[in-house]
Amino acid sequence: MKRQFVTDINMIKYEVCVEVAKLAFAGELEARRDEIPYTIIPGNTPKWRCCVYREREIVRQRVNLAEGRPAVGTKTNKNIVQVLPAACEGCPINRFSVTSSCQMCMAKKCMGACNFGAITFEGGRAHIDPKKCKECGKCAQACPYNAIADLMRPCKRACPVDAITMDEDNIVAIDEEKCINCGQCVIGCPFGAITDKSFMVDVIKLINSGAKVYAMVAPAIAGQFGGDVNNGQIRQAIKALGFEDMYEVSLGADFVSKNEALELEEHVKEGKKMTTSCCPAFVNMIKKHFPQVLDAMSTTVSPMTATGRLIKAIDPEAVCVFIGPCIAKKGEVIDSITMGGADYAMTYEELASMFDAKNIDPADFEGEMQQGSVYGMEFSVSGGVTNAVLSTFKERNEAIDVKVCKANGALECKKALTMLKLGKLPEDFIEGMACVGGCVNGPAMINKSRTYMKDRNEQIKKADDRGVLENCAKYDDLEFSMVRK
Amino acid sequence: MLVTICIGSSCHLKGSRDVISSLERLISMNGIGDEVELTGSFCMGECAKGVCGKVDDELYSVSPATVEDFFNEHILGRI
Repeated sequence: MKRQFVTDINMIKYEVCVEVAKLAFAGELEARRDEIPYTIIPGNTPKWRCCVYREREIVRQRVNLAEGRPAVGTKTNKNIVQVLPAACEGCPINRFSVTSSCQMCMAKKCMGACNFGAITFEGGRAHIDPKKCKECGKCAQACPYNAIADLMRPCKRACPVDAITMDEDNIVAIDEEKCINCGQCVIGCPFGAITDKSFMVDVIKLINSGAKVYAMVAPAIAGQFGGDVNNGQIRQAIKALGFEDMYEVSLGADFVSKNEALELEEHVKEGKKMTTSCCPAFVNMIKKHFPQVLDAMSTTVSPMTATGRLIKAIDPEAVCVFIGPCIAKKGEVIDSITMGGADYAMTYEELASMFDAKNIDPADFEGEMQQGSVYGMEFSVSGGVTNAVLSTFKERNEAIDVKVCKANGALECKKALTMLKLGKLPEDFIEGMACVGGCVNGPAMINKSRTYMKDRNEQIKKADDRGVLENCAKYDDLEFSMVRK
Repeated sequence: MLVTICIGSSCHLKGSRDVISSLERLISMNGIGDEVELTGSFCMGECAKGVCGKVDDELYSVSPATVEDFFNEHILGRI
């Protein structure tokens, strides 16, 4: 099917994944992976870079990551977010730069504002001495013509936890001790020099082996494969790929709401604060940057783990693959191998690539399904987890007063966690989501057209109005734990 | 101590899931949960040796049949 991409970077990433998926399904990846750079970048005319050879090297590095291998060399590392060294342009590192808008005015407010004597005047405009500049930005604020540009590297600007550094050649490097795998730099780099490692080939190989592989789709999926293509159709398309079946993670989300509400009730009674634990980048932020508040984090498993445990309670042989808009979920899988939930995680981008590799279009299938409640479906929107948790109080006819801090996006999460750490958070409950707007704005969404939220909401309107607890009760005969170990 | 088990498809088919659950059981039976962190990894590129396991940075070959020996020698033996 014809796809629209957010940018050319998404398109290239996608085209590489489609070719890798084709060869993996055919069992020819080992023998033919070197052909992919030539398939994607044919001829002699470069489209984006200095030459086709560099473009092909970038594709080669992308193939490596799509196969879950290091972009360059053999040293394996744990991080999901990885640099494609060939794609990094080594953007200028002199952060503040005077542009041609400088009028060489009389007031010279930039010079007056600079406390480090870094500004001189030559050649008809102001000049900043990079050796003296401390990047305070006062000159840029002072200029009445806005003639001083803040050229902070986009990757560095995007990172909420200051994990981006440069190597000796000005190529971006990620400090894996600090990185929370949120994927903001992946979206932020205008050259596509940062991307995520993939489990897609592992999943295809397991499908080919005849293993019982189950897909678990995150609730941000509504509208991702065509405005009116519903989960029932996607389920049939996923089965046509060779998966055993598909479950909705909104179902696991309902179990999370139920359990987290009980936990929150206890916390509130004891006068303690609590945070959510379903967003893996938020969890990483707590573990790596705010370990002092780890005790406040909900001990309820994520909707992904809950759904995986539910499937394995039905079919112990199941291999469970989470499919969502999220890069950090892949890291959650690696960190939570002992939890018995998801075995692998993939993105919608990768699922779409698998569909195209097999010429499968979900729009060609028929079907209807609803496993989760509307509350579970709205877990993927900022504020949705809170609504779902609070709805269970209502469903039980209990009035519990909870003051909620909705931390929408990584910067708000950081602020809320800082307040919690200092003991100054006025609210009782932090709902933390690292992506602004929630998972529906995740880094691996395939469709972010102008109408995608409208399409999504239209689809959700068609769902029935079952309650969270009512929905969980349908699975009462299954036994699985909702607690992290 | 960081113990890493490969969860790539090849190691999965050779029983990495069983290796992980056995290790988890052995770690908790020996009460060393605070000293050992058990985590997964992408393919380590040594599929022929699978199931691949690392103790800190050192690579070992382990299988559901040998997991107890591996635990005694390379994990418990080093604590």
